[in-house]
Amino acid sequence: MTFLPKLGFSDPDICIRAEDAWKIYQSATGPVEAVAGVSFDVRRGEFVAILGPSGCGKSTLLMMCGGLEPITRGKIVVDGAPMTGPRTSIGVMFQESTLLPWKTVLDNVMFPVGILQRPRKDYIDRARALLALTGLEGFAHHKPHQLSGGMRQRAAICRALVYDPDILLMDEPFSALDAITRDEMNDALSDIWDRYTKTALFVTHSIREAVYLADRVLVMHRRPATVVADIAVPLPRPRDPSVGETAMFNEICGALRGYIEHSHRATRGMPAHG
Amino acid sequence: MVDAMNARRDHVLSVALPVLTAALILLIWQASVAIWAIRPVILPAPSDVVRQLWGGWADIVHEALYTAVESACACALSGLLGGAVAALLASSPLIREALYPNLVAFQLIPKIALAPLFVIWLGIDAPSRLTFAVFISFFPVAIGTLTGLLGTDPNAVRLCRSLTATPSQIFRQVQVPYALPFFFSGLKVAATLSVIGIIIGEFISSKRGIGSYILLAGSRAETARIFAALTVLCAIGLAQYGLIAFLEHRVRKAWRG
Repeated sequence: MTFLPKLGFSDPDICIRAEDAWKIYQSATGPVEAVAGVSFDVRRGEFVAILGPSGCGKSTLLMMCGGLEPITRGKIVVDGAPMTGPRTSIGVMFQESTLLPWKTVLDNVMFPVGILQRPRKDYIDRARALLALTGLEGFAHHKPHQLSGGMRQRAAICRALVYDPDILLMDEPFSALDAITRDEMNDALSDIWDRYTKTALFVTHSIREAVYLADRVLVMHRRPATVVADIAVPLPRPRDPSVGETAMFNEICGALRGYIEHSHRATRGMPAHG
Repeated sequence: MVDAMNARRDHVLSVALPVLTAALILLIWQASVAIWAIRPVILPAPSDVVRQLWGGWADIVHEALYTAVESACACALSGLLGGAVAALLASSPLIREALYPNLVAFQLIPKIALAPLFVIWLGIDAPSRLTFAVFISFFPVAIGTLTGLLGTDPNAVRLCRSLTATPSQIFRQVQVPYALPFFFSGLKVAATLSVIGIIIGEFISSKRGIGSYILLAGSRAETARIFAALTVLCAIGLAQYGLIAFLEHRVRKAWRG
């Protein structure tokens, strides 16, 4: 585990730190622990994936890191200050591209600039550069409904990066796409990553996606909804799809699969080591 | 190429079919009056109505202008009031819970029965008729717009929150554009209702407008004049509806590109 409580807040290398963070919902049948005492660190410039089965609370955890979900107990500290609400230094990408249907692709990418009331002229070149990088330069003046699902999600990446947030939180951004488009998107994101290195937290339920993109993978269990493993991915960057054929890649995938299957058996009341 | 031709043919048909149907009905009407020798005071033939329109054109247009201007004003005011009420109701769940059921209950009153009250409160001039017309026509705008404001894509709202957008930014930049098509649907209904409201107002209190023209013609059993007035009334309603449909089309175009 890389959790080093001794270093405290003063460590400038730590960007996101969760300290025994809980999320408890009150439901009709009693309290539900959506996130149960999660602790982890993310270093500045690190790409960390949170991997787990659906319903394990990983998206809730991400939203807590983004200040979009209140934290019931414990705390999440970002850049030395506890999270209490959304911040402009944190960009969020959701499962749906959520492009505004009446705006062109370029205007959608520029949307955060308008909300943050920053001068448009300072960001328009960056927006165009991002569109070019994601292969959308020819679609700047199209409307979202004229794009494919993959293109819409690429536009959403551009929108998340246009105002240059330090931290990027991604909530299963490619899970609604077909397998081939998804591989393409992973490739595109990896490319963008090499160019605009940010601190990133990426939620997914795909083992290969997590390993392909991340420097570290946190594995979450369902009950209790907490982080059970922290696996480093020491594959060299830049990565291209051929990395998926290497022994190390598959070895890491195998280890992660072991943790997830273990989690599955545990939640079904079966012996953990069958 | 074939698609374009098909599209054009569909377009021509969509105009030609209703026009032909209307022409056929007028023809049957004309023939029926002639065959059964129906007296003009009971049912004038379409040709009698046309003759009446032709002869009394200046007179009828003069009266129609009052009705047209007042109903257009009533429709515009309904748009403003309906939009404002929707914005208020959308602004907080507390306000919504306090007001919405009352607003709906209020709407269940047969509003025509209240028309004399407006005469007592506001007299017999334009303000009274306008208030009554707005009173009966703003509701569909309010309900439609509220549906749009509250039906805004929750993901878009979440995106705005993640960007630290203020509630007023979310309202103006996301909720209002989402609600615009709903607003215009409500406004189309309001256009019809506001004409009804003004006519009722004219029935009750006015010496002017198509309403009083119809009442006067009725009292003299000049059936052809009534039908002529109804024809002009149709034209007023169509013009208002058409204008709003055009605006709605522009908004939808801006939406869908």
